[in-house]
Amino acid sequence: MNRFQRIKEIMFGTVLIALAILLALVPENSIQPAAFIISLSLLVYGVRLMWNYYSMARHMVGGKATLYQSIIVLDISLFSFSVTTISPAAVAIYLMLIFAFSGAIDILRALESMKSGVSTWKVRFIIGCVRIVAAIGLLIAGAFFHSVKILVIGYCVDLVYTGIVRIVRAVRRTAIIYIQ
Amino acid sequence: MNQEFHYYATYCAAILAGYSHQESEKIGYSACMVDFCTRTLLEKLGAPLNAATTQLPLELVDAWTDTVGLQDITRIWSSFHFLPADLYAKPKKRCSKRYLQKYRLICGPNSDLLEKTVRLAKNMDEQAAGIAMHVLADTWAHRYFAGTPSLVINNTNPYFYELFQNGDTVTEKKITFRHSTGTPDDLDKSIYTCSINYNSENSIMVLGHGRAGHLPDYSFVRYKYLPAWGDYEETVKDNPSDFRSAFCQMIYAMKYLRGVIPDFFRNQYDGEAVKPYSQQLDRILTKRQLDATEDWKAFAALLSGTEPEPFSMERYQEEYLRADEAEKSNTFLGRFFVAAMAQKSMVTHNIYNSGNTLAGNSVEYDGKGFRGIRDFRMLLHRKKGGSGS
Repeated sequence: MNRFQRIKEIMFGTVLIALAILLALVPENSIQPAAFIISLSLLVYGVRLMWNYYSMARHMVGGKATLYQSIIVLDISLFSFSVTTISPAAVAIYLMLIFAFSGAIDILRALESMKSGVSTWKVRFIIGCVRIVAAIGLLIAGAFFHSVKILVIGYCVDLVYTGIVRIVRAVRRTAIIYIQ
Repeated sequence: MNQEFHYYATYCAAILAGYSHQESEKIGYSACMVDFCTRTLLEKLGAPLNAATTQLPLELVDAWTDTVGLQDITRIWSSFHFLPADLYAKPKKRCSKRYLQKYRLICGPNSDLLEKTVRLAKNMDEQAAGIAMHVLADTWAHRYFAGTPSLVINNTNPYFYELFQNGDTVTEKKITFRHSTGTPDDLDKSIYTCSINYNSENSIMVLGHGRAGHLPDYSFVRYKYLPAWGDYEETVKDNPSDFRSAFCQMIYAMKYLRGVIPDFFRNQYDGEAVKPYSQQLDRILTKRQLDATEDWKAFAALLSGTEPEPFSMERYQEEYLRADEAEKSNTFLGRFFVAAMAQKSMVTHNIYNSGNTLAGNSVEYDGKGFRGIRDFRMLLHRKKGGSGS
């Protein structure tokens, strides 16, 4: 990672943490901003896909698929702006799926580590379980109590975690040493 | 290439190059170990994590695909399994820098990096020789694919045909791909397992030859397809011929490592050493089977009079775990880890020096301070003649 990439990562991580704190301060009013962030990230993803087509995928056999995909993603992102303002349930389902998927991956990795005799498998297993429980918590909070607080706080925790990891990764030594 | 080729074929090539049974077994073991030295294993052993030479599927699923994560993946797969053929290659059409960097990581045999890989193993132990032979063999099997996640390079489309030679005529059979990892490939019906078609540039689904399944690793198969980078030009892959070249080049390279040949040059093969066993070798390479272990074992016994002990990941673990901290790098696995890091360091340095940042940054050690990943201090200790731990 060069200096520019490090600065970019630290700034991005800091913005994520600041955003999470802002959202967590007023959880009852934060569902719309959270939904807006998700839609915005989808929009950015669509733009990146289109850029990817022009810079790379147009050279590839069957590369037109990337162009079509970028148009569809951009369309969905614009659509999601309107959906999320109407239905917080869509945001809840999205967040729930993210937690459940990452939790399942953590548990699978932990089980693999356990089979190989790695001592740290328990930590990973607990993280996976916490994520699954968070997903179930979001489901219960959303479906039965119609509460958005847990939903937003869960989302904020995830944002803080992502921000911290990005900052930590940016300051770590990454250069490979070459000795003649 | 498959495990049996890396273990038994490397053993056979080492015997033909003049190594003893014990030395050949160590070289074959080290060549095979490259496919098993994961971070999960290193964590278990308490060994430096940067000595990883491969990644488990779940490690890959778990890996971050941000800049650092992608560089880590690229370092591992480009250094050990997909050695770039030409770091200064130019595609036929004008392209962006992003595309060019990925294009230049396409693997192929007889590269400048291969020469450096073999030279790096000179005057080192059998572990270094084994790692170099793994890298060499894979340059033949994995050619046309890159050791970095890249849709625009590694993707394939449904145009995939298996070729069968019947005398002078060649017949074609459409290959069917499926995504069921638990089901073995069906050779009779030409049904093979491959990774999922996921239209994302940096997805691990498009790392190396995942989209072509195990086809590049089977010695018997001949096929044609349209690689994503190939501008709709048909590419034919003749594995029996490529695997034979790999085998003969390994003998030549190991004769250089033993000091029988004074220098190592590219495009040189020791066909003479293979001549008396040509029929046996061709029979193994062209036989349609998922596992050629028994055939290679018999060939190994024919060459050395002794069958090598079956490969077991656990064989040297106890020795490493029991050794004192200062003595660890003198154990079998300790030497393997040092050789692996030396190879990774050399390849990353060359990729970085070519202006390509996909494998990360490389800093040349200037004799003072240490501005990089701490694990690589082991290389400094080795250079100074210390234990390396």
